[in-house]
Amino acid sequence: MSQLAPEITDVHAIVDEVWRSFLGEAEPLLARPVPAGTPFDSAAVWSASVSVTGGWQGTVTVEVDERVAAELTRQMLGVPDTADEDVADAVGELVNMVGGNVKSLMPGPSTLSLPSVAAGRAAFASESVEVARLDALWAGQPVRVTVHTAAQ
Amino acid sequence: MRAMIIDDSRAMRSILRRILAGLDFETAEAGHGQEALDQMTAGPVPDLCLVDWNMPVMDGYTFISTVRRNAEWRNVTLMMVTTESEHTQIVRALAAGAHEYVIKPFTPDAIVDKLELLGLVSKGALA
Repeated sequence: MSQLAPEITDVHAIVDEVWRSFLGEAEPLLARPVPAGTPFDSAAVWSASVSVTGGWQGTVTVEVDERVAAELTRQMLGVPDTADEDVADAVGELVNMVGGNVKSLMPGPSTLSLPSVAAGRAAFASESVEVARLDALWAGQPVRVTVHTAAQ
Repeated sequence: MRAMIIDDSRAMRSILRRILAGLDFETAEAGHGQEALDQMTAGPVPDLCLVDWNMPVMDGYTFISTVRRNAEWRNVTLMMVTTESEHTQIVRALAAGAHEYVIKPFTPDAIVDKLELLGLVSKGALA
């Protein structure tokens, strides 16, 4: 049975807008084809998720290479050096923006959770199913955004 | 002019602080609505509050509703800056007393445009 899901082109547009807003236009976010089921290909990862509940239920997750996370944090905080708590804050705000805008594409009304952030790969509940995935490169480093809903 | 930035993300507060500093605002910051109310009660009262919606302890909607119930704070301009972009939520926030609404992500120009509409900065203030 098909799951109600955002269009991948819409997810890409959202992520691209967030990236350009906070990282500028100099280094574009480049989409890349990655076969389904391929693990996120980075040894050092930050991940963050937000959940949407209500008219549509799902989870939006962002995974970024640690170098992307560090640069994102430097740009957002306007500082040259970053601590882990800074990175967690910045990556959390990133998924908040992506998740909030994905929520706006789906049937409402619904509620967005506060972000949860981890230094490491995201783990997904076995009863959830991936309904959209964007793989991209930024400054040569991998970025992944996934949308999951509960399996029907 | 004094502004208070109310957002649980330090990164977002930093971004907004730099924009407002470029507009010659003095800024204070709070990580949630209750912290902002405590600061306003202690004074000084800001001219402008930029308010996120989803925050721990007290969310932005509750903060705005609370501020609007206090006659002493009737001159405070309230602007939501949030990822919440459902039409019903925008209407709800404006009905509760928000003057303007900015959806994240935003550009500095988007913030300046709203502040111009509110008469808090002059045109081209960030140039």
